[in-house]
Amino acid sequence: MKGRGGHRAFFAFCIALFLASRLAAQDATFVASVDRNPVGIGEQFTLVFTLNNGGMGGGKNLQLPDLSKFHVMAGPNQSSSMQFINGAVSSSVTYSFILQPKEMGKFTIGTASIEAAGKVVKTSPLVLDVVKAAAKPKTQARAPDDVSAQIGDNLFLRATVDRTHVVQGEQINLVFKVYTRVSVTNYAVEKTPTFTGFWGEDVETPKNIALTTETVNGKQYRVGIIRRVALFPTQSGLLEISPMELQTTVQVQSPRSNDPFDSFFRDPFGRNVNYPVKSDPIKIKVDPLPPGAPDDFKGAVGQLAMSTSVDKKTTRTNEPISLKVTISGTGNIKLLESPAVDLPADFEQYTPKVSDAINRQADRISGSKTFEYLLIPRYPGLKVIKPVTFSYYDLAKKDYVRLRSPQIEMNVEQGAAPALPLIAGSLREDVKLLSQDIRFIKVVVPSFSKKGESLHGSGVFVGLMLLPLAGLVGAFVYARRRQTAMLDQVAYRNRRAIRVAQKGLKQAEYLLKEKAGAKGSPSSNQRLRFYSEVSRALWKYLGDKLNIPQAEFSIDGATTELSCRSVEPGLLQALRSLLESCDMARFAPSSLDVSSMQKAYDEAKRIIVELERTLK
Amino acid sequence: MTTKRIIVSWVLLLSFACVAFGQSPEQMFERANSLYQQGKAAEARDLYESIVQNGFVSSDVYYNLGNAHYKTGNIARAILNYERARRLMPSDEDLRHNLQLANLLITDRIETAPRLFVWDYWEGLKDMFSTRTVTWLAYLVFVALVVLVALVILARTYRLRKAGFLASAATGLALIALLVVLSAKIADDRRTDEAIVLATITTVKNSPDSKSSDAFVLHAGVKVQIIDSVSDWVKIRLADGKVGWMEKTAAETI
Repeated sequence: MKGRGGHRAFFAFCIALFLASRLAAQDATFVASVDRNPVGIGEQFTLVFTLNNGGMGGGKNLQLPDLSKFHVMAGPNQSSSMQFINGAVSSSVTYSFILQPKEMGKFTIGTASIEAAGKVVKTSPLVLDVVKAAAKPKTQARAPDDVSAQIGDNLFLRATVDRTHVVQGEQINLVFKVYTRVSVTNYAVEKTPTFTGFWGEDVETPKNIALTTETVNGKQYRVGIIRRVALFPTQSGLLEISPMELQTTVQVQSPRSNDPFDSFFRDPFGRNVNYPVKSDPIKIKVDPLPPGAPDDFKGAVGQLAMSTSVDKKTTRTNEPISLKVTISGTGNIKLLESPAVDLPADFEQYTPKVSDAINRQADRISGSKTFEYLLIPRYPGLKVIKPVTFSYYDLAKKDYVRLRSPQIEMNVEQGAAPALPLIAGSLREDVKLLSQDIRFIKVVVPSFSKKGESLHGSGVFVGLMLLPLAGLVGAFVYARRRQTAMLDQVAYRNRRAIRVAQKGLKQAEYLLKEKAGAKGSPSSNQRLRFYSEVSRALWKYLGDKLNIPQAEFSIDGATTELSCRSVEPGLLQALRSLLESCDMARFAPSSLDVSSMQKAYDEAKRIIVELERTLK
Repeated sequence: MTTKRIIVSWVLLLSFACVAFGQSPEQMFERANSLYQQGKAAEARDLYESIVQNGFVSSDVYYNLGNAHYKTGNIARAILNYERARRLMPSDEDLRHNLQLANLLITDRIETAPRLFVWDYWEGLKDMFSTRTVTWLAYLVFVALVVLVALVILARTYRLRKAGFLASAATGLALIALLVVLSAKIADDRRTDEAIVLATITTVKNSPDSKSSDAFVLHAGVKVQIIDSVSDWVKIRLADGKVGWMEKTAAETI
């Protein structure tokens, strides 16, 4: 029963819907809209496409325009609504996007199309203006117009400087003051000013703002100093101090109205509204420092004095001394750079310890900066630290001033560890060149050569190269000649041998004939001469023939030499026996008679002829 | 007619120049030295320069010219002349000192690309003596070799001949080694691919075109190696291996 009723109700609803859609199909519209126009760059806006009377299910085939000129932050989000008003049904479907423009300019959002109830409907193009970031995104924080009218010139922030035309490095006092005739309950710095081109030093202001009164344009204001800055320009030219912005909370009276309820609920003390105030930018003309700065000028400007001191005048080697250089006065003390200290070469120096004491209370920033140099003398003796110089630009004199400390002399005595660093390898110092300079020129006049000429390519050198070669050739030729000469000698002796032998034998023959002629037995002396003559002739012949000096000769040596030269052994045997018989005859001459002498002579003759034939 | 006049005027000009600059390079050298000692480095520089311009060359002239350039503040030209002197007297201690000092004063610091230690030994060996000295050394060894060979030829006994042969073989090896060093040194002397940047500042490009992108910037005094050239541009390589193109006029070869 119950289920049946539910079914029926659903059915009726469906019919109603169908009817509604039939009805709506007649005038379906598609509209594009944005929530604001113009839009600031960087701001988000909502683009909505609305389909009216398109039917409950919305449309099909939604074709979107090109949105590439924007960042799509969210979307598309679809929502639909349906209204029954006095029996008339209206429905709408929205497609929304949250977009953010990428750049400034005028943009056209093209047509979007959708199919609804069998028809294609289109939006008309939309022109969107993207402008520079809008005045204030936080619109709700802005005071209502009536409030700003009420506050008007009763509250403003003013930046003042004590001078607008300075030289580089000269102090400028910048003060931000709030002028008010309304009650300011609170304030917060929205935007701090920037001091591009300046060195800014905040001057202390009391925690609780002490109010004074000042009259501006006939109106009396209470004045409070918000911030006080001492500025030192670090560059020349026209510099600008950007404005400061404050967000103040001001108590205002609500506007009167005739509504009794309103006045009933009105705060008896007024209500608080936020009200922004902003100072004007200030232009400062900064002149550069005049030319002619000393070498050691490092940008100090003001009125300064310098003092130097050492903690002790006498010290021992390796015991540190502290040298203090104090610069004091008014000016950009904080920016002072350490003056250069020229030390004797054998001092060890460390980077200075810097401390400053700055008084920011007064109109001009003043104080002192102390540079403490730690020096360690390494060698004994009287040491002199040259005067420390420091230059600054004096604002009163309008010129550069060079300060010069007195020269510091100190006596360094030999310390406890005498010359130890020289022995210890790790501590040993390199020989420090006190000043680096090039070596002196060459003074001895050199031998010049022509450009492009070289020793190895010169004719003289080629000649010198050829000289030993010529000597070598000479040596070779000489060696060759000597050898041929030697060979010639051998041949000569060889040729001469037979003649010499024959001459020797002729002498022997003469001796033999003499004996035979005398018919007597030859004397032993004659026999001895005969044999020695035969022996000599033989030896001489062998010596010449075999090219051996006679002194180195023996019977055995001669026979072996001859046998090497293929002399037949029978002949050798004969030669041997003949030589032996000659030797024997020389030692025992009486044992031989004329016939044996004749025999020996013939034998010698025969052997020589035979040898001559063989040794040819 | 006109050529004759030109010749006559040239002869006159040359003779005048001879009179003006002193007759011999030796006299000019001494004059320049005394000017240098008086502190007139610029005048001494011009006089040394004219010796070189006249075609007379000596390691000492280049060295002194380098010193004069150094004193007049032209470090790049000082380096150029020291490098030229170094070719002629590689082992001179004064020269090494001055060149090192001059190189400390130039703007660019270029790390040498690491290489095998053998190359350093080889460079050291080459730098030990000048080309002239090596030439004479090689000549002496050559003469010794010839004498020993002659000994081998003329020796009567075997022992003498053997000793002579061994000695000449050793001398021959020494001669070959010296000739290798000498030929390397001669090749080095003929090198025209080393140059010193003389322009105060040069932008080295990535290609030989003034519109090309910048590769790096060089300052005066840097030694570069020229590896290629196209019309008015040369391709250079630095000691650390960087390569680029720069205008030919910005550097002068050693």
